[in-house]
Amino acid sequence: MHIAEGFLPAGHALGWTLAAAPFVAHGARAVVKEVRENPEATLLLGAAGAFTFVLSAIKLPSVTGSSSHPTGTGPGAILFRPPVMALLGTVVLLFQALLLAHGGLTTLGANAFAFAVVGPWAGYGAYRLTRAAGAGLLPAVFTGVALADLATYVTTSLQLALAFPDASTGLAGALAKFLGVFAVTQIPLAIGEGLLGVLLFRVLTVNARPELERLGVLQPAAVPATTGGAA
Amino acid sequence: MTGLAVDQAAWGSAWRGRSPGDKLLLCAGLVGCALLLPAWPGSVLVGLAAVALALGPARVPARTFGRAIRWPLAFIAIGALTAVVAVGDGGIGWAPDAAERAGSLVGRAVAGSAAVLLLATTTPMSDLLPELRRLRVPAAVVEVAGVTYRLVFVLLESLGTIREAQAARMGWSSPRRSYRSAGVLAAAVLTRSWDRARRMQDGLAGRGMETGLRVLPDALPSSRPFVALALALPAAITALTLVAR
Repeated sequence: MHIAEGFLPAGHALGWTLAAAPFVAHGARAVVKEVRENPEATLLLGAAGAFTFVLSAIKLPSVTGSSSHPTGTGPGAILFRPPVMALLGTVVLLFQALLLAHGGLTTLGANAFAFAVVGPWAGYGAYRLTRAAGAGLLPAVFTGVALADLATYVTTSLQLALAFPDASTGLAGALAKFLGVFAVTQIPLAIGEGLLGVLLFRVLTVNARPELERLGVLQPAAVPATTGGAA
Repeated sequence: MTGLAVDQAAWGSAWRGRSPGDKLLLCAGLVGCALLLPAWPGSVLVGLAAVALALGPARVPARTFGRAIRWPLAFIAIGALTAVVAVGDGGIGWAPDAAERAGSLVGRAVAGSAAVLLLATTTPMSDLLPELRRLRVPAAVVEVAGVTYRLVFVLLESLGTIREAQAARMGWSSPRRSYRSAGVLAAAVLTRSWDRARRMQDGLAGRGMETGLRVLPDALPSSRPFVALALALPAAITALTLVAR
């Protein structure tokens, strides 16, 4: 659900660009610092961006019988943290606008605010809270990924409602309209992407445990204590 | 996949050798007209100009352009219809100026999308990324974006191959199996992307990479006649729109 080029009035497009700019600039500073200290991070961050783009190309079966595409920012926020996702998400949105005609350039700021800022922060916050409440990795991943999707959908609906308030009921009526219309696809997608996140992390905990430990998603496995003395 | 088709169109376009800055100027002018001028006749003129330039001098395949513009159309249609529906005490109805507002919204969005697509189908991303440096985007960020662009195609190929293998084993024959296959597919693509990045890093370290991934971009000089067109076309559309109003 990307806002298409030219859909937002110029003032709104500019306003959302200014709102997203500090978060994207913060992400860019984090990336510049990381690359300066650790030059090989360029390739790993590029790989993370490419993965986020490609994740959106995976088709998930939908309850409506058709298929839908994940946003990819929820798993990215858990793996790479929200500041990095603010930048990588914006880069991915730029690529989607220019390689897939999804979204646009004047609406890049609005889409970045919803997809690359609010979604990852909401998802990561929900993931950390669920973990802090004592839940295991997989329930926390489901909560985080699904909530990242839902937060993105609510933010995009709010952006559209602010731009096009209802003639009689104003912002509240417009928000209800946009939330209602896009709920048909976005709520099943949020649940579907949450399930995809669980399946993804379940495979990763088996096949890529060292990477998850390096990224801080999993605690390093305790080394079994050796019993003294030779048998 | 349409993404590859747009990129292929950009590499094969007759405007591939033109300066990306010149093309950015032209498309920015057209997008500005679509956004700021009255939809009638401004957006119609912008849309016609973008399509005529893409299919004419830029020689973008009509099928590629048509297929790519379909994607935003679904959002534009649903969004515009929702915007002009009025919700009140008497239930749901049309806003008083529904047809005019919907027409204006659809016109602006289709014209803007066509102008951006003109840029996308004539300029490969590898030509546009160096332009970001001129906008003072840090070199490290442009390098990350460059690696992302190059790896996207490698990973899409892996995605296609793995998905084909899963489909051959009935991995996508039911919703339950589809979800399981999608999870395995995503994990395989992620671990392959890490593996690729590590192998590229080892290769570059062996060649003494210390100060970043420096590449020599193609020299694509600016053309005065093209810059004149990029300035004159939006100016002409603005003048025609204002006269017609």
